Parts: sequence; C-alpha cells; structure tokens
Amino acid sequence: MRALTLGLTAVIFCACEGTAELQGPRGVGVDLPIELSPQVTGMRRLTRVELDQTLYDLFGDTTAPAQRLLLPDPTDPFDNDYESQLPSAALIEGLENLALEVADRALADPARRLELLGCSPSGPGDTGCFTAFARELGRRALRRPLTDDELQALLTLQPLAVEDDSFDTGAKLAIRTLLQLPEFLYRVEVGTPEAGRPGVYRLTPYELATRLSYFLHGSTPPDWLLDAAGSGELSSKEAVRAAAERLMGETRATARVQRFHALWLGYHRLPHAPALAGAMQAESDALVKRVIFDRGDTYFELFRAPDTFADAALAAHYGLAGAPASGFGWISYGGTRRQGLLSHGAVLSAGAKFADTSPTQRGIFVRTRLLCSEVPPPPPSVNADQPPTSSTGSPCKKDRYSVHASTGNCASCHQSIDPVGFGLENYDQAGRFRSTDLNLPQCPIDGEGRVTGLPGGDFSFNGPDGLSQVLTESPAFDRCVVTQVLRFAGGRREKPDDAMAIDRFTERFRAQNRDFRALLLDLVSDETFAFRTEEAP
Amino acid sequence: MKKPLSLSRRHLLQGLGSAGVALPLLEAMVPGKAFAQTALPKRYIVFFDGQSLGADDDPVHSQFVPNTVGRDYDLKTGLAPLGALKSEVSVVSGLSIPTANGGAVPSGGRRDDFHVSSLSPLLSGVRSPASTASAGVTSDQVVAGFIGGPPTSLVYRVQADWYLSVSAPYGRDMISYRRNSTGQLVAIPPQVSPRQAFSSLFGSFTPPGVDPAAARKAELDLRSRRSVLDLVHKDADRLKPQLSRQDQLRLERHLDEIRALEARIAAVPPPQTSTCVVPADPGADPQAGAPQGTDGAGNNTYSTSNGYSGEEQRARAFCDLVHMALACDLSRAVSLQMTMFQSHLNMFPLTGQATDLHELGHGGVPGGTSAMALGHAWHVKHFAYLIQKLRDTPEGNGNMLDNTVLVFLLEGGHGNDPGGARALSSHSTENMAVLVAGRAGGLKPGQHIVASGKHPAQVLVSAMKAVGYTGNSLGEVTGEVPELFV
Repeated sequence: MRALTLGLTAVIFCACEGTAELQGPRGVGVDLPIELSPQVTGMRRLTRVELDQTLYDLFGDTTAPAQRLLLPDPTDPFDNDYESQLPSAALIEGLENLALEVADRALADPARRLELLGCSPSGPGDTGCFTAFARELGRRALRRPLTDDELQALLTLQPLAVEDDSFDTGAKLAIRTLLQLPEFLYRVEVGTPEAGRPGVYRLTPYELATRLSYFLHGSTPPDWLLDAAGSGELSSKEAVRAAAERLMGETRATARVQRFHALWLGYHRLPHAPALAGAMQAESDALVKRVIFDRGDTYFELFRAPDTFADAALAAHYGLAGAPASGFGWISYGGTRRQGLLSHGAVLSAGAKFADTSPTQRGIFVRTRLLCSEVPPPPPSVNADQPPTSSTGSPCKKDRYSVHASTGNCASCHQSIDPVGFGLENYDQAGRFRSTDLNLPQCPIDGEGRVTGLPGGDFSFNGPDGLSQVLTESPAFDRCVVTQVLRFAGGRREKPDDAMAIDRFTERFRAQNRDFRALLLDLVSDETFAFRTEEAP
Repeated sequence: MKKPLSLSRRHLLQGLGSAGVALPLLEAMVPGKAFAQTALPKRYIVFFDGQSLGADDDPVHSQFVPNTVGRDYDLKTGLAPLGALKSEVSVVSGLSIPTANGGAVPSGGRRDDFHVSSLSPLLSGVRSPASTASAGVTSDQVVAGFIGGPPTSLVYRVQADWYLSVSAPYGRDMISYRRNSTGQLVAIPPQVSPRQAFSSLFGSFTPPGVDPAAARKAELDLRSRRSVLDLVHKDADRLKPQLSRQDQLRLERHLDEIRALEARIAAVPPPQTSTCVVPADPGADPQAGAPQGTDGAGNNTYSTSNGYSGEEQRARAFCDLVHMALACDLSRAVSLQMTMFQSHLNMFPLTGQATDLHELGHGGVPGGTSAMALGHAWHVKHFAYLIQKLRDTPEGNGNMLDNTVLVFLLEGGHGNDPGGARALSSHSTENMAVLVAGRAGGLKPGQHIVASGKHPAQVLVSAMKAVGYTGNSLGEVTGEVPELFV
C-alpha cells in the first residue's frame, strides 16, 4: 500500500539515476525495482553454532566455546529467530568468559600466534605491530574495516601490555574487546537510505557479504569475499550470484543446508542413544547432500528416494536387507512403503508424546512444518497434557483419539490434524514398522491417513510414500519449503507483507525444476537481497 | 548526588577510569543505607519446584503438608529432609489461585489450561496473560529494586535443559521478570552453569595469602576487564544513533546487561573475613544430558543419562554459590529455579524412580501422591542445605538466617482441574502450600499455618515485608499472612 503511493517519486528517481552504480563502501550497486519490497530485518545475534564456526574461522578454535559457555538459542524450529533472542546476565558473562578463553587459546599456540599477529613484536609496546594486527583482525571480526577512531580505541589497551611487560597481553585484550562488541555478536545492518523509498536501506557491500556468508555458510565472510566487498566487486546481481556460487561450492554450504533441514524437521537433536541418533542423522544428511549437491535433482527427490543410506545396525533397526558388510551404503527400500526423507527415523522421531507416537503431534508437525499452516493451541479449557481416553473403554489408539473428533470445540481442529498422523502410525517413534499399537497386539494399525483442506481438496494416503506423494503434488508444499527457507534466511517468521516475495520465489523454484541450489542462488541474487526494510517502530 | 568525602577508599578506586558508568553503579557507590554497616543487609530468596502436590485421582492431597497445625509439626515424606531444621521453616497451606473456570481470567488468577498458567499469578501476582508466561514483575525483582546493596540479583536455574526434543519450553524455563530501561517487561534467562556463576561472582577475588606479584597480576586483570568493557560500551554508544528504533531498543537491552556486568566488576570484592571466603571452584559443569530417550520398544527410558545433566551436583553448587554470594554481600535478591514448570527432569538418578518429575503427577510410576512426594523431597533436601549453611554462618549477634527470608514455591497444589474436568488432579491450583524460612523482619518460623482461601502471592507479600517492602500487594494480589510474624 505504501509502495503504491510512493511509486511516482521512486520512478522519477530511478529515471534520473539510471543504472549508475553506487560502488565502494557507500552501497551496493544493485537497482531495486519499485514493485519489490525488501524483507524487514532487525539486528540478530549469531547463534551458538554460527559463533563457534566464526571462532573457528577467525582463530582456528575447535573447542565449540559458544556451545559450552552460552545459553542455548531459543529454537522453534529455527535457532536464529531474532525476535525471540533475549540478552541476559548469563549471556554477557558467558561472552566475557568465552572471549577470555578464546584469546588465551589463540595466542598459546606459537604457529597460530604468528599467523594471527602477522608480525614479530619488538617489545610489549610495539605500536606498529599492534596496529597491523588489530587492523587485520578487526576487519575479519567485524566484517568491515575498522575506522581510525576504533583503532585508536584499541591502542588504549597497549599501556596494560607495557605494564605487564608482554605484547601478547595487549593482543589478547584486543581480541577480548572485539569479541564482546555488539557489532561482532550481532549482525547489525545499517546501510544507506534509499532515495524515494522511505524505510528502505541499501546495504553496504560489507553488510551484503556478511548476509551472504552467514546465510550460505553460517559463518563470517572468507577473506576473498571481504576483499570483493572492499574493492567494489559486489556491484551487480551477477557479481553477487558469482560470489554465492563460489560459497555454495564449499563443503560448508552443504553442512549449512543439512543444518537447515535438521532444524526444520526437528532432528538436530534426537531422543535416542547417541549411536542410533548419529546414524539417523547421517542417513538424512546423506540424502540431503545427494539430492541437492551431488545430483542437483528436483527437490522432490528428497521425498521420493527409493533407497537410503544406512549401515548394518541402522538397516537392522529398520528391518531392511542389503546393508553393506562394513560402513554406510545406499540400500533399497524394496517393496516397503518407505520412500524419501519422511521414512527416515530422524523425521519419524518428531512428535512423540505419552511415550509413544502421537497422531496429533505428528499431524501438527506435518501441518506446521511441511504445509506452513497455523495450528492454534488448544482452547484454554482443554487439558492437552493427558492421553485421550475412549468413551467405549477401548485401549486402541484409534478409538481413544476418536474422542477428539466427537468432542465439541475439539473436533474442528483435530479433524484436520489427527488423520494426518494416523497415516504414519505404522511407524513407531524410532521409525520402525509395526502392525499393532505399542504393547497392544489386539489393536491392529491400518495406516490409513487423510490430509484435508489442501488446494484441490482432501487426499487419502497410507504411509510415508503416500504422504510424500500427496505433498509433492500439492502447491501448498513447495510454497512452504520456500517459506521455511525465507524464515531461516531472514531470522524471523514472515509477515503479511512477505506473501508476494514468497509467491515470487516459489514461482521461480517451480520454473527451475525445483532445484534447491538454484532456489538459494535465486534468493541471494535477487535485488531485494541487497536491501533491507526497517522495522516499524 | 555523589558525596566523595563519604566514599570509602575502595569505592574511590573503583570510580577512577570508569567515566561511562551508568546510574545504578553510581547509586551503588553511594555508601548510604545499603553499605553503611549500621544495619545488616537483608536478603530475599525464591526457590522453585516445578511440580504440584498431589497426583491424579489420588484422594490424598499431599505427602507434604503436615497434619499438625502450629508449632512442632509432623514431617511427611516431602518435608522429611528438613529434619530438625523444621524449626526454621514455616509451612503455609490451604492456598489457592483462582481459575477462569470457563470464563474470563480473574484478578490474580490463571487460565484453565494448566502448565505455565500458574506462573504469572504465583510469582508476580498478576493474572496469567493469553500468550506469554508472565504479565508482571516477579517478587525477586520487585525486592531487587528496594533492597539496596550491589545492583545484582542472582537468577539461576538448576534444571539444565527442557529435555524434550522437538518441543520448546515456551516460558516454563524462566521464573524472573523485570522491567528493563525501556520500560518493557522482560524475562530474565537464568544462568544454568555453576562454573560461570562462580567465575562471575568470585573471578576477581584474590585469595588471601598470595604473594604480592600474584596480587598485582590480579589487580591488573581486573583493570583489564574494565578497560575492555569500557571500550565495548563506548563503541555501542557510537553505534546506537545509526540504528532503527527497534534495533536501538535491542542494543539498549544488551547495554543494560553490560552495565550490570560493569557494576559487578566495579563492586570490588569485600575483604575476605571468616564468613566471606572464596568457595571451592565447582569445576567443569556436569555433562549436559540428551533429551528424553526411548528404548527398543518405543518406551521412554529413564535409567540413562537422557533427561539428566547432573542436576544433583548443579543444585549443590548453586546453593553453595548463593550462600557465599550473600555472605560476601555480592547480591541480596536471588531466584533459584530448581526445576521448570512441567519439568521433564529424569527422576531416576535422583530418586530411583523410572519416570520424570512431570509424569510423577500422572502415574508415571505407581504410588500416586506418595511417589510424587519423593520428587519434592529432592527439592526440599537442597532447600534445607541452603538454610543450614545460612544458619551456620555467624552474623551480628546471631547468624545469617536472622536477616534472610527464603520462600519455596511449587507449580501447583491438588484438587479440581477446570481444564481437564477432573476432581482430583495434579493440574490444579487448589490446596497449594508455600514454605517460608528465615527470621528477617521478625518472621517467626517453625509453624504450620493454615491460610484457607489465601493466595500464594500473599505469602510473598509477607516475605517481601520481612525484608523492608512497604507496600501491601504484589501485582493484583493484596494482603498478607500476618501469622508468619506471630
């Protein structure tokens, strides 16, 4: 609405400006078509996983200090939602301890120390060496060059080094300072106001490089990307796309895409013994990598794969034949109802309740995670903390859960939830096939499920292969995939204003054979990726 | 505002080189009522147990509340760990939090759905809001606002994790709320690492008897920390005007915490005395446990490390830290959340019961209310340990308990559940009980008081009064339990 009323001025502005490129540190040279609104963003804290990866990149620190010293990130389902991040004394203290530890470790190893300092100090007060070190590390830590004032500020730490008769004391204090700066801990985007577009800001090349790198690698920009930002090379859609392709070629991008899936589908933590949990995660990671990176298949192959990556133990867990003699290998699902990611133990472990699978929780999982529907919480008068009991006294799950559909204000929601979960009931909460209810051999499971209210109507299915078919044939599903990617990229839930962007990226995803890599590249080389819209006050 | 002449040498030293300090620190530096040693400091501790008193369908409301009313009450399973310390602890029973009961949430009441809906009325006296956990400032933070002393309240949690994969705790993991510098009500994420709490409280203490070189080094370390934070602070001040309004608020909230850390560092430790000594370093935190697990047959397993992160050791370490933080006057308001609301802490390593704390209320193991009481006894054991430590620490003409109040709150009671239409439910805020220990402000502990129809927040009002609160209400709840002082 606001964009419409502003259209005229902006068009005039564009006409005057033509394709003139704003290069260098002032702004990225990408034109923003007037019909496009960039995503709203706010400053977001690095997640623990991002922080650890960043500390590895900056200092070679392999001890995962953030995961040891900082509180867990609020995760629902993604761990980077800046609207739910809260600072706390525990965070600030943890960060101070983290900075101290990391600085000590970074300078303790002689080879790493030399690489980090980049010079051999002549004495504790060697200003030249200190300045060179602080300038270079500062640029990498803050993801932009330091100003002279900032360098001067860090130099005020040197008298403490002289007093302690140790150059390294000053270097460690500089590291500790940089790691505690809000500009390090948070990704702060300022940019420059875009003429004729109130509330819209053009990112600086450094901010764009940072956005790109944290989205695709979950870490700080590599040196070549900072160099590109500094020299004005990130000055067109094409240049940004080329940088993104280079990032996507590194193994770190694979890990990032695997993490996206693990968070989205809830298997970054699994309620199983470590060996089983690890095998399940390896299984799902392998399929994600094969479909998206190795083969560049249509994304739907993730939900259609006729085989899976397992070792003998995992194959035995599932009751599958054909496992390799040693290690992991691809084995066929054969004549089972299994197919793709929804058959994996990692995904089927989601949504357990009352020490068993919960058709309700699984239904909510499919509705919210895979179809992006909003499922309202139970009405305040409902106690959802107790297993439902059947009116006839039957212990069988289908009878017990039928009470939902026959109870007043429960029915409307549960009718769209429980039948989805019942279609997966033949698979227990560790993903194994079963034909009767848990510990109730008198209660057979028919595995019949139904997804209602999709565009095109209601669809029946039975098992993971059936559900995968229903999903991949529904326009609600691939749009939801795009929505989840945008949530992960933007660090927040979408707002009504984002619907147009979701539709646009979904259209292009479909037009490109639903190639997930292409979707990511499309997203980052879109004009809007170089801009941000300020949050409403 | 500053009266340099009356500042001690210690405070003057702290003031040097901290130009960017915030108002709370300056207030802390004024050696007025708080630091003048004419009156001994008072302290306020909230202890939280995330379970109700009675189990589903068990006619027995609790194995916690004594039969005997008045002094020398009987100890049931839940309170057994108090032993002789019962003379230091009053039990207030018969309490309840009103419910919506199908209509609007009443003043000081809760929604009909159970878990977390009792948080707001129980801890802040304000009726539970529709979507968030608390609608009001919690009592520990109200107290922190007037109790004086160092501008630090301690907010700790023993249960290290939510322990359910896939689902999130949605506020069940935080029991302290305050207003920040921008006036917004915010939850305070608790510290869960004893290791870090130790280093925050005692990291700058110099052990007595160290050689002068080590003492100089410690002093240099302290100045270095201040210099680093000073640069951080100045840089944030530079950044702030460039940000959008929303980001300015975020940065301001972050800076609130930096200021608080600066204030804690500036509050150079008091000279160590016979009662204020650096406690033993708790060492590395116990290994963080995995979420709840399943066995081969799809049943939850409780005999392993799933759902458990060494909470026994963590509870002990936090109680030691709280005790010494108070003895050294590093803080006067404490919130110690032993377990979360609807706690899925594995009970097996603690009580030998193959279930979690929450399922104890729903028949997770046989025994109903009696089985549940073992879970409470675990909480009470640590509560008693802290009371004992305070009592063993001399202060003035008596001991620290004379100037301290501790309250022990539980998630619920036992009785009608308007949400689940069950007459005897663990999802109930009828028949609740609160423990009050300590003798601050003339409290007379050691009695069982039946306060039928009263609200748990009224017990908190009395506890707050014991440490100098001049009001007569908490949130929407007015009135107190005067028998606690008789």
